Amino acid sequence: MRFPSRKGFTKDSLVTLLFVLPSLVLVGYFVYVLIGWNVVVSLSDWKGLTPSYNIVGVGQYITLFQDQEFLTSLTNNLILILLFVPSSLALGLFLAILLDSKVRGEGVFRNIFLLPFSLSYVITATLWLWMYNPKVGVINTLFQTIGLGFLQPGWITDPNIALVCVVLAIVWQFSGYTMLIFSAGIKSIPESQVMAAEVDGASGFNLYRRVIIPQLKAPALNAFVVLMVFALKVFDFIYVLTGGGPGYSTYVLPLLMFRNTFSMNQYAYGAAIATLLFLLALVIVIPYLYLSSRREKD
Amino acid sequence: MIIPKPRRIILYILLIFFAFVFLLPLWADVTTSFKTVHDLIYTVPMQPPLSPTIEPIITAFNTMKRPLMNSLAFTLAATILSCLLGSINGYALTKIRFRGSNTMFLLFSIGIFLPYQAVLVPLVLTMSKLGLYNTIAGLILTHTTYGITITTLLFRNFYGLIPDSLIMAAKTDGAGTWTIYRRIILPLSLLPFVVAAVLQFTSIWNDFLFGVALARGSEAIPASVALANLKGTTEVTWNVQMAGALWYALPILLIYLVLGKYLIRGYMAGAIKG
Repeated sequence: MRFPSRKGFTKDSLVTLLFVLPSLVLVGYFVYVLIGWNVVVSLSDWKGLTPSYNIVGVGQYITLFQDQEFLTSLTNNLILILLFVPSSLALGLFLAILLDSKVRGEGVFRNIFLLPFSLSYVITATLWLWMYNPKVGVINTLFQTIGLGFLQPGWITDPNIALVCVVLAIVWQFSGYTMLIFSAGIKSIPESQVMAAEVDGASGFNLYRRVIIPQLKAPALNAFVVLMVFALKVFDFIYVLTGGGPGYSTYVLPLLMFRNTFSMNQYAYGAAIATLLFLLALVIVIPYLYLSSRREKD
Repeated sequence: MIIPKPRRIILYILLIFFAFVFLLPLWADVTTSFKTVHDLIYTVPMQPPLSPTIEPIITAFNTMKRPLMNSLAFTLAATILSCLLGSINGYALTKIRFRGSNTMFLLFSIGIFLPYQAVLVPLVLTMSKLGLYNTIAGLILTHTTYGITITTLLFRNFYGLIPDSLIMAAKTDGAGTWTIYRRIILPLSLLPFVVAAVLQFTSIWNDFLFGVALARGSEAIPASVALANLKGTTEVTWNVQMAGALWYALPILLIYLVLGKYLIRGYMAGAIKG
């Protein structure tokens, strides 16, 4: 609040305080106090139903990195990020380029591609349960109908490909979003630049590679951060689609955190995973916020 | 750009192929929702039903009725509250610019990207202490709070476009902070309110994590959790499960059809899906 010294505490500054106070209190408590509280829980020995605040230090974190379930979940999370983020960016860019070619019915296609993104993960996971059902599901019966009956993968019931199946489904859900971001980026490139490049003989593939794609760094960064943070905290979708199975083949950190906390009352363990998730998110988000605040000033 | 003809054909083949892939899961949901148990056995999911029935739709509605009402109640309330607070914050951040406003903005921005797992255990404890565990009120408080961060950003970006000279002129006329908000800012706010409301409604309606952590009994259980639970019960056949998904998707599909362009603006504004 800017309190002009000659006037002291004016009625206006009181109004300002009243304006932002409720939100500051809510966000201050429910975001920042709770993050701190969660760190305290992660440093305690709390198991079972009654809270215990015997602080035992960072032992929980050391245990984590010796725990096979944790290491498997962490690895799965990293594989998921490595497969999901580049695929969604690539497919989104591809769709945006297809739609940039003065297509008839552009709006209809755009709405179809974006539709899955607007739906709840519980819905999309339910849809993909039906898609992937190995006996009577959509894909395998479709394969039979079109003469690909010899292809009957077990999809999410096969531990070797279950994680890839999860990735395919969330790429389906997110590439409409990346398409949207890239489309807006392409539209913001001045027509004159594109025309100049065409006069110089660039066309089709070359036009995109030399002129358009290099100018999509900012939208790519925005989409990248959104995808990374999503892939880090992915929970609902996997909870409903595979529940982490078969075995531990699709377990990820948020799922491990949830199961340990709410099914097994391992509160300190769950809180430690949650703190790690928060730190990983900060590693992605802080540089991004720094970059975008600099861009805003320019 | 003039592209030779064969290329145009490939372009449309690709577009139609992708449209097919994107719509296939939804199509199979609709066909399955109208199938009898007999049709479930004798048709493949992609086929339309042989003898369409609304039986699964009715069964699913009876199971999901209370959860759908719960979701509607807390989603509407939290949408309205988070939009009002976001509007006030956006105004304070752009047009008053008090000391500490930059810090407030940074703290809120981090809140947008917060993995909610990082607050989940203390959140459940807090709600229990407040007597709000497993209540609609608890879900309203939770969704409002975590929604404020994104609505504040949306309104801040929009109010940044309102010229300061307008505010200055009003100040010279002796208008105070509240009067300026009510007489100048609010009347210009229809668009950001629609964008923020559509975005908030969809993301709160779609939430699963808070619902499953904060609501256990039928008093407050959201539709997302009820749909996820349908999967667990073995006697529920695919047609009912697909019909349940259809019911839960209905409000979002309506918003997408009628207010889609505002939802897209929300996504573009750096909106993050929980």
